[in-house]
Amino acid sequence: MAYEEVKVKKPLSLTVLPILAITIFFVGWQLIVDTGVVPSTMLASPTKVIRLFIYKLTNANPDGAVLGVHAWMSMKEAVTAYLLAMVMGVPLGLLMGWFTVVRGLARPVFEIIRPIPPIAWIPLCIFWFGIGIWGKIFIIWIAGIVPFVINSWVGVGMTNPTFIQMARTYGASDWQIFTQICIPSALPMVFGALQIALAYCWTNLVGAELLAADQGLGYLISMGRRLALPDMVVLGMVCVGIGGAIIGLIVDLLEKRLLAWIKR
Amino acid sequence: MGTVANEVIKPVKVERKLSFKGVITNEYFLYVVSFVSFIAIWHFVAKAQLLGKSLATPWEVIKELGRMTQTTLAGKTLWGHIWASTRRILIGFTLGAVIGVPLGLFMALNKYVNAVVKPIFDLFKPMPPIAWISIAILWFGIGEPSKIFIIFIGSLVPCLLNSYNGIRIIDEELYDVVRVLGGNRRDEILQVSFPAAFPALFAGLQISLSIAWTCVLAAELVSARSGLGWIIIRGMKLTKPELVLGGMAIIAIVAMGTTLLISGLEKFICPWKRGIEGL
Repeated sequence: MAYEEVKVKKPLSLTVLPILAITIFFVGWQLIVDTGVVPSTMLASPTKVIRLFIYKLTNANPDGAVLGVHAWMSMKEAVTAYLLAMVMGVPLGLLMGWFTVVRGLARPVFEIIRPIPPIAWIPLCIFWFGIGIWGKIFIIWIAGIVPFVINSWVGVGMTNPTFIQMARTYGASDWQIFTQICIPSALPMVFGALQIALAYCWTNLVGAELLAADQGLGYLISMGRRLALPDMVVLGMVCVGIGGAIIGLIVDLLEKRLLAWIKR
Repeated sequence: MGTVANEVIKPVKVERKLSFKGVITNEYFLYVVSFVSFIAIWHFVAKAQLLGKSLATPWEVIKELGRMTQTTLAGKTLWGHIWASTRRILIGFTLGAVIGVPLGLFMALNKYVNAVVKPIFDLFKPMPPIAWISIAILWFGIGEPSKIFIIFIGSLVPCLLNSYNGIRIIDEELYDVVRVLGGNRRDEILQVSFPAAFPALFAGLQISLSIAWTCVLAAELVSARSGLGWIIIRGMKLTKPELVLGGMAIIAIVAMGTTLLISGLEKFICPWKRGIEGL
């Protein structure tokens, strides 16, 4: 079947409207601060945020570190915890999906821990690890491991039963079926967890840093509040947003590469 | 008994002999073993103070919770604190859903609304809701509105995204059927778009709810005088681990309760989805 490609001309308004919306958003933001509709103690104008951004690139005042150090700290925590969660969560989930013994032993503990928001672990983390980097990594790790386990587990569960029966008929052992059939068929679901876990990790990173930190983007935000500097708060928020978007893009690229590699 | 295509599948009950190995590898038996050993290890670690004084035994936690239902902490019993958190969640989450779901539906159904809202939404999307806490406190002070605002922001994003995507992933053929049967745009929306988007929409509500719990905790940990997050932080400041663990346990239970509520609502509103989801 061959289709002739039909080119639908996009109405001009549809290309103009998004640009217009963004422009109005930023101009409006600038104006309500400049004209004093919103007092400057509550919100900083975009130009002020950009100025602070340039200033913070080289200057450690008033919160004790340059922007690069904050960003590097946050990245380090998030990536370490994310990788730890992946390395431990995926095998656990895969095993839980196939072996009854593992599922029987791991599931109750997992179900107890799952509904507790990772942020709630902060006080215990401070008891156990102090306010250093490991406490934060622990919280982000808890946040990240849940989607990895669930997706790998569900992925194994979605294996086509016909394949398993066929392998059984040909005398494959349980372990062979697990490694040769279940794991490959679970992989797309596992990749699906990459993005979800990343979003969870990044959200909880900010939470962990708001409370217990001396460096990091979340710390920058909470220092901005304590010093009543709205431009610093907004700068921190923007950096967190950009950082999250960048890691998201990298993971997205990796995911596409891996999926293409598996299909081949 | 279920049917797949034109085959009839009859459930076959296999008589299993009761053997030692059979019992040991029984899933439900292992659940009990796991649960009991979890509690036992917890008790042992706390009792032997392997982690210093930072862990309370399970029994101490239960005792502390029982005590809190009787006595007041900062003017509220345990029930009062549970209600304080739940109320914030309910208000913020409802606001987020009431604004996010229709906006998402509108964006998916009308490309002009989409062209205006989507770029601005995309600016805010990658920002974790917790990052809003500081600015919310600058705007609204440390009272209730700032907490509700954060929960609102947190639950708005998944609600909007899922209702938007829920409509966009609808099979085009479903629309063709309506058109062939002589339906107009209104029929398309009411008969196809809405029912087909409901499952995705409810998935969005579930995500929103779990994010809302994270947000309320973060907000209460930063500044509050009531609520479950406050109980935890109070326990930390007084170095009373039984209070921290008790607070965590209650949060887990209440969060699970609200999740069950939404999935119950989903089963009630979209019965056609029953049985599709295995887990």
